[in-house]
Amino acid sequence: MITAISWKNVWRNKHRSMIVIVAVTLGTVAGVFVAGMMKGWSDQRVDAAIYTEAAHLKVQNPEYLNNEEITYTIPNYNAVKTFIENQSNIEKYTSRTKVVAMAATSRGNTAVTLKGINPDDEKKVSNLYEFIEEDGGSYFDVDYKNPIVISDKTAEQLRIKTFRVTTELIDSLKSLQVPENVLALTQEYEGRRFYSKTKFRKAFESELSKSDARKYGALIAELAKNYQLKAKIVFTFTDMHGDLTYQSYRVCGIYKTSNTAFDAMNAFVLQDDLARVAGFGPADFHEIAALINLDNSTEKVEQLAISTRFPEVNVMTWREMAPDAAMLSDIMDIYYFIIMSIIFLALAFGIVNTMLMSIMERIKELGMLMAIGMNKKKVFRMIMLETVFLTLTGSLVGMGLGALVLKITNVTGLDFSSVGEGFEAFGYAAIVYPNIEWSFFFAIIVLVIVVGILSSISPARKALKLKPIDALRTE
Amino acid sequence: MKVIEIKDLVKIYNESEVKVHAVNGITLDFEQGEFAAIVGPSGSGKTTLLNMIGGLDDPTSGEVLVDGTAMSNLKGSDLTDFRLNNIGFVFQSYNLIPVLTAKENTEFVMRLQGKNSKECDARTEELLKSVGLGERMNARPAKLSGGQQQRVAVARALASKPKFVLADEPTANLDSKSTETLLDIMEKLNREENITFVFSTHDARVVNKARRVITVEDGKVISDERKNGGE
Repeated sequence: MITAISWKNVWRNKHRSMIVIVAVTLGTVAGVFVAGMMKGWSDQRVDAAIYTEAAHLKVQNPEYLNNEEITYTIPNYNAVKTFIENQSNIEKYTSRTKVVAMAATSRGNTAVTLKGINPDDEKKVSNLYEFIEEDGGSYFDVDYKNPIVISDKTAEQLRIKTFRVTTELIDSLKSLQVPENVLALTQEYEGRRFYSKTKFRKAFESELSKSDARKYGALIAELAKNYQLKAKIVFTFTDMHGDLTYQSYRVCGIYKTSNTAFDAMNAFVLQDDLARVAGFGPADFHEIAALINLDNSTEKVEQLAISTRFPEVNVMTWREMAPDAAMLSDIMDIYYFIIMSIIFLALAFGIVNTMLMSIMERIKELGMLMAIGMNKKKVFRMIMLETVFLTLTGSLVGMGLGALVLKITNVTGLDFSSVGEGFEAFGYAAIVYPNIEWSFFFAIIVLVIVVGILSSISPARKALKLKPIDALRTE
Repeated sequence: MKVIEIKDLVKIYNESEVKVHAVNGITLDFEQGEFAAIVGPSGSGKTTLLNMIGGLDDPTSGEVLVDGTAMSNLKGSDLTDFRLNNIGFVFQSYNLIPVLTAKENTEFVMRLQGKNSKECDARTEELLKSVGLGERMNARPAKLSGGQQQRVAVARALASKPKFVLADEPTANLDSKSTETLLDIMEKLNREENITFVFSTHDARVVNKARRVITVEDGKVISDERKNGGE
């Protein structure tokens, strides 16, 4: 009965209650959305850290961590590899060779880590092959010698990536029915070559009106982007014998992940191609990257198993290799809680105010209830439930709407490309796919109930201080 | 059997250095099944007396015993629970809960007593039929006339099967026809349920209906008249 009265009391003054409910709804939608966005970012960063960059575990020569010397290969490689192969909870693994090299083209140079891989094994552990750019060639699917997959960032540094207006681009713009003045300007740029997107856009857009620049600048720059596949890059590095050696590779694929720092550092060649010139033997590998079955085991367990059996190797988990992602994953729950707590704390003031008004209007009625036998415990329960219902109604609607917004944006993604370079410099994707776990909604419900109870204390105290005789005299 | 015993009851209000003797040494008893009216002019102390009998106000001195229990010994929740189980209240301005229907208002005290739905339904239906509102059980107070609301209040006061009902000016806001109906209903319930009714009133129609009339003036009982058979 008290529960029923409390619920009905919420709707006594519909207008006033609706104001609070709408405020709670909007606050909840905002909280769910922000939390979903952060979770999306965090999940994407963790996924990238594990499935693109680091894998669950990495076995290396401990010396290699301090000094990336080519000679610091994994000690006792064959035994380690066999042991890993036989670990039932290690699902997939790949071995890599690594060389720190200086890359040069006729127009640019940069330092990269050349990784010698076996593409078939590599695909089982790293999804990097999925990040090959459109018009960026393929993941070693070529028939020429010494192919190399480099990043978009490296291509830019080596000036293999250019921006130029071609006849095809002009035809595309015509089919897109771009205004005449934009088309005419584009035609003027035919044949000119730029090595950076910023420079191309700056030059091109300076001759357009602001609105045309905003509308067509980014589109034309994207269409003007061109990778010089098959371009030759010469790498200089020290081989296993300590001699300086050279090897040229031809670009077969350009990849771009959400982590610019990773992209700038890593280029991939075929293991045999690298071994031949660097002088690697059949058991010379610098790292074994492995994915484990998380349903049956943990990184920590497998790390311990390998390092106990082979104390001479270093085994790192993805948490140690990408501590930023690990920390983010660990503290995300606290972030949600803080966000939602701040939102509900702000809303609590409105809720308390509304409840106090409601109590002040019902003093005589409360006096009557106490007179006919409703004790203080029940009066408190009635007011507390009323406050919780008021808050819960808004937050349930808010959670529903928030979940709907997340469902939609999870499919469409939220594009932060305009500021994407900043995000990607820190390893975070420019396009975020928000998502949230169901447990988050349960946590909100608990939080709402707690906020409701706390918000009811002040109004309930006001009611409990009333003497029935005095309250009954109120008009 | 004495349901209420009032012993030398005094209530003094301190109003800006002036002591007001609202009740000034009243001693009274009420037997089970009485239908009594406390009458007197405004300010004579009848409402204060009723409030002290109902445990809503503390006496300055003296004692009220309900069924042998001294009200002054009960505090806080014990006193509230005692009121719930022993006393029914009817107020001048009905004081129904506006968000509840006539049925829900009536069964409210029974719910507070922890009675089950079956018991509540049966008693509520019986009482609302008795007060002539069998057809309006699902109407909210706003949809009922003043007389009908007061009849719901009477049904509510009786729902918990109290030892007695205190009614403070129950007919003050009602027209003659509603007053007549309400008094008939209360008298009928008084006889059927053998529950003591004590009114405070200055309505002559209530006085005529009462079987005992206690006149109070300046906080004192100046007459206590019992009639045989009421009118």
